Amino acid sequence: MRIRTAGVVAAFALALVAAGCGGAEPAKTTDPKDLKAELTWWDTSDPKNEGPAFQELIAKFNQTYPNVKINYQSVPFGEAQNKFKTAAAAKSGAPDILRAEVAWVPEFASLGYLYSLDGSDLLADESAYVATPLSSNKFNGKTYGVPQVTDSLALLYNKKIFTDAGITSAPKTWADVKTAAATIKAKTGKDGLFINAGGYFLLPFIYGEGGDLVDPASKKIVVNSSADVDGIKIAQDLVNSGAAVKPPANDSYGTMMTLFKEQKVAMIINGPWEVNNIKTAPTFGGLDNLGVAAVPAGSKKAGAPVGGHNYVIWSGVPQEKTAAAIAFVKFMNSATSQAFIADKLGLLPTRKSAYDIASVKSNAIVSAFKPVVDAAVARPWIPEGGQFFGPLDAMATEVLVQGKDPKASLDAVANKYKTEVVPSYSAS
Amino acid sequence: MRRFFSKHWYAWAMVAPVVVVLAVLILYPLGRGIYLSFTNTTEANQLSEICTKSITGTQSCEPNPDAAHFVGLDNYLHVLGGQVGEFWPWLAITLIWTVACVVFHYGLGLGLAVLLHRPMRLRNVYRVLLILPWAVPSFVSAFAWRFMFNEQFGLFNGVLKGLGLSPVAWFDNQWTALLTAVVTNVWLGVPFMMVSLLGGLQTIPSELYEAATIDGATPWQRFTNVTLPGLRPVSMTVVLLGTIWTFNMFSVIYLVTGGQPAGQTEILVTGAYRAAFEGIRNYALSATYGVLILSILLVFSVFYRRLLRRQGEVW
Amino acid sequence: MTAPVLAAPPATTPVSAPTAPPAVRRRSRGASVALHATLVLACVVALFPIVWVVLSSFKPGVWVNSSDLSLVKEPTLANYRYVLTQTRFPTWMLNSVMVAAATTVIGVILAATTGYALSRFNFPGRRSLLLVFLVTQMFPVAVLIVPIYVIMARLGLINTLASLVLAYLTIAVPFCAWMLKGFFDTVPTSLDEAAGMDGCGPFTTFWRVILPLARPGIAVTAFFNFLTAWGEVAYASAFIQTSNRFTLAYGMQQFVPRYNPQWEYLTASAVLVTIPAAVVFFFAQRHLVSGLTAGATKG
Repeated sequence: MRIRTAGVVAAFALALVAAGCGGAEPAKTTDPKDLKAELTWWDTSDPKNEGPAFQELIAKFNQTYPNVKINYQSVPFGEAQNKFKTAAAAKSGAPDILRAEVAWVPEFASLGYLYSLDGSDLLADESAYVATPLSSNKFNGKTYGVPQVTDSLALLYNKKIFTDAGITSAPKTWADVKTAAATIKAKTGKDGLFINAGGYFLLPFIYGEGGDLVDPASKKIVVNSSADVDGIKIAQDLVNSGAAVKPPANDSYGTMMTLFKEQKVAMIINGPWEVNNIKTAPTFGGLDNLGVAAVPAGSKKAGAPVGGHNYVIWSGVPQEKTAAAIAFVKFMNSATSQAFIADKLGLLPTRKSAYDIASVKSNAIVSAFKPVVDAAVARPWIPEGGQFFGPLDAMATEVLVQGKDPKASLDAVANKYKTEVVPSYSAS
Repeated sequence: MRRFFSKHWYAWAMVAPVVVVLAVLILYPLGRGIYLSFTNTTEANQLSEICTKSITGTQSCEPNPDAAHFVGLDNYLHVLGGQVGEFWPWLAITLIWTVACVVFHYGLGLGLAVLLHRPMRLRNVYRVLLILPWAVPSFVSAFAWRFMFNEQFGLFNGVLKGLGLSPVAWFDNQWTALLTAVVTNVWLGVPFMMVSLLGGLQTIPSELYEAATIDGATPWQRFTNVTLPGLRPVSMTVVLLGTIWTFNMFSVIYLVTGGQPAGQTEILVTGAYRAAFEGIRNYALSATYGVLILSILLVFSVFYRRLLRRQGEVW
Repeated sequence: MTAPVLAAPPATTPVSAPTAPPAVRRRSRGASVALHATLVLACVVALFPIVWVVLSSFKPGVWVNSSDLSLVKEPTLANYRYVLTQTRFPTWMLNSVMVAAATTVIGVILAATTGYALSRFNFPGRRSLLLVFLVTQMFPVAVLIVPIYVIMARLGLINTLASLVLAYLTIAVPFCAWMLKGFFDTVPTSLDEAAGMDGCGPFTTFWRVILPLARPGIAVTAFFNFLTAWGEVAYASAFIQTSNRFTLAYGMQQFVPRYNPQWEYLTASAVLVTIPAAVVFFFAQRHLVSGLTAGATKG
C-alpha cells in the first residue's frame, strides 16, 4: 500500500515537473505511443529494387510508434524535384518528409521550402555523421536535412572476365584501363569499358586531372580550364581507341547496365545503387562476380563525385506534426536502420557508428565502397548545383558520341553556365 | 427584338460552361503568362521576402534583395538574340519537323484514303486495322518506337544485322534522330488524316467522276481535277489542325529522342519545357517562349486564312 | 458549297455504303493484286509496333532488355502477374475509368451544346469564341502546367480526379466543339424550324431533334475525349500526389524511370491499357469516318 502511494506520488511529481518544463518546442512526449500524426513520405528510391526495404523499416518504426501513420509514396526520381517544387510553391500537396538528392537540398533551402533543423533533436548528434555527406545539407550557415545514404562512383568490374583475360588487379589509372581493355579484347573478345554518355559520369575524368566545374569560393567558372579539357580528352581517347564502347546517344545508361549484366563488357563506372540490380540479374552470376575498385586516377588523382540522399522536412508542415516528423526521421536514420538498409540494399550508411556494426563490417559491397566514398570529392553545394548537368550531358554526347572537339564543347558549356546558370560568376 | 434577345440568352447559356472553364484555366494563365514575360520572375525571386523556418518553431524573414521586377522587352531580346536558350536552332528544327510530318501525314493519309475508297473485299477489315494505331495511347507508342530504334537492342538494327547490313546509330546523328521522331509521329497521325480524307472522298458526288470519264480524263486527271478540289474543304482543315498539333507536339520529341543528340532535335515546346522545369524555374523565360510560339502560330493561321479566302473558301 | 452538303451521307447511313466506282471498268487482276498488296503492307506497318509490344509483354524482363531479338522467348505471364498484383494497377485502372468516363460524358455535352450554339445562333462573341477555340490549342501545355496547378491548389483540387477532368476538358472540348459546329452546319435548319413550330424551345429542339441526328459526330467527340483522358500524362503527373489516385498513364511512367526502364512491365501494362481503348474504338469506329468528314467540311 505504501509503495503504491509512493509510486503515485512519484508519478504525480513527475507529471508536475514535466508540465512545468514547457519550451519553445512542442512538448516532447516521453511515451512513443502517445505520438499521433499522419505523415506523408515521398521516397525516390527504385520502387522494385529498393522500396520494399524502406517499407520494412516503416513497419519497424510503427512497432515503436503505433499511432504515427506513415503514407509511403514512391515518387519517380526524375520527377520528384519538380513535383516538390510545384507543390511547395503552391503550399499544397507537398509531402511532409522527402528523400532529397544531395543537389536538391541547397536549391530547396534557398527557396524557403525546408525547415532548418538546427537546435532540434535531429542534429543533436551532428558529429556522428560522416562530414562530406552532411555538408550537402548546409546552406547559408544553417542545416536543412540529415544524410540518409551516400554514394560515389566506382569502377565496377566483372571478375570472371578479368580472370579469363589474365588480369589480376583492377586498373589504377586510365592508361592502365586502356591496356587492360586491349588485353580483354584480345583474350576474351569482350569489350573493356563502357562510359555512360552523361556529364556526371565524366566527372572522374575531370577530377582526375585536378579540374572542376566551378569554384564557388572565388566565383569562377572553370569547366573549360585546361585540366578539364585534358580530362575529357582522355575519355574521348578511350572511346576512339576502342577501349571503351561507343555509347549510344539515347538510353546510354540502360545500355551500359544491360551489357554489363549480360557479361558483354568488363568494366563500367557506376555507383552502389545498381548493386541490387546486378545481384538479381540471372546472367551475371551473382555478387561474387562483382568487383569494386576506386575509379582510375588521372595524372593528378583519382576522384569521384559524392552523391547521395538526405531526409528533409517541408517547411509547410504544421507545428503540431513536426514532433512526429522528427521522430520518424530519427528512427529511419538511426545506426541500426542504416545498417539494415546497408544489409538489404548495399547502400552506404552516413553514420560513422554504423560502420562498426558487425553486419555492416562484413558486408562485402559496403566494405568495397567505403574507401571509394571516403575519397569522394565534394561538389559545390549551391542552389544552382543541379543545373550544371544539363549542358554537361550535351557535352558528353557531343564528345563521346559525335567526336567533337572537347575544348569547343567545354567552351560552349562554360558559356551556358555564364548566361543561364551562374551569371554572377566570372568566366575563366 | 425580344426574340433576338431570348435567342442570345439561350446561346450564351449554352456556351457559358465552356467559356467559364476556358477563361479560368487557359485564358487567365495565358494573360498572366504574357504579363510575366515582361518581368524577370523566377521561382527564386517571386516572393517579396524570403522566410526561413526553423523546426524548433522560430522563423526569420528578410526582404528579398532580388525581387522580381519589370524588365520590358529584355526577355524577348535575349531569346531572339540567342543569348539565352537556342531559339533559332529550335525554330529551324521545329519548322523542318512540322513540314516533314504534315507532308507525310497528308500524303500517306490521302493515298490510303484513295485506296480504301475503292470497293473491294475485306475493305472494312483493312480500315479497322489501319486505324488501330490511333487507339494506342501515344506515350506507349512513343516508348515502343524509341525502343525499336535502340542501337543495341532495337528491332530495326536487329533486322539490319540479320540482313547482313551494319546497324545504324539512330540517335547519334541529328538528322537520323529527327527521322526517328518523324517516323513515330507519322505512324501516330496518319489514321486521323486517313479517316478525315476518306470521309471527304465520300462526299464527292460520283456524277463528277462519271462526267470526267466521259470527257476522256485519265485517272490522274480525274484525281487532280475532281478528287483534290472536292477534298479541299477537308484538306484545308486537317492541314491547319495538323500543323498546329505537330508544331506543339511535345510528347513525341520528348519521349522518343529526348532532344538527343546533345539537344540537337529540340523543338520550341520542349525547349520551353526545359526552361520552365529544369533547375530554378524561370517563369518569365518560359512564358516568353509560350508567347513566341503562340505568336508564330497565330501569324501562320492568319496567313492561312487569307490564303483560303483567296481560293474562295468561306472560313 | 451546296453540292457537297446535299451529297453528304445522311448521318445514319453506315459508312460501308460505297459511292459508285468510276465507270463500269472492272479492275484487272494485276491491279487488284497490287491494291491488296499495298494495303496489306500498310497494315503491317500500322500493326507491327503493336504486335512487338504484345510479344514483348510475354517475355521475361531479362530478355526484353537484351540483345537477343527472338520474337518469342520463354513465354510467361509473369509480367502481367506482377503488374496486376504487385503494383496498384487495378486502382489506377479504376481511376482512369472514372476520369475518362467523366471527361467523355461532360465533354460530349459541353462540346455538343457549344457546337450547336455556334452553328445555329449568330450571337455577339461568336467569331471571337471560334478564334479562342483555335488559339487555346496553340499555347504549349508545358507553360500552362504551373499556373493551372496554382489555380487548382487555390480551388483545393490538387490530388483529386476532378482536377484532371477539368484539365482534360480544356484540351478536348475546343477541338470537338469546333468540329461539331461543322457537323451541325450540315443538318438543315428546316428541322429546327419544324421543331420550333411544333412548340419546342431551343433546348428541347437541341436534345430531342438535332442531337440524335448527330450520332457520328458525337461518336467522334466521345472517342476523342476518351482517348485524351485515357492517355494523358503531363497534367496527371503534375496534379496527382498519392498513388491511390494515379491514373493508368501516370502509373505506367513508374516503369520507365530515366535510368532503368522496365520495358517488360511497360509492355504488359500497355497491352492491358490498350484493350479498353480498342473496345471503345471498336464501337466508335463505324461513325468515325462520317463524323469527322462533315465536321471538317465546314470546319
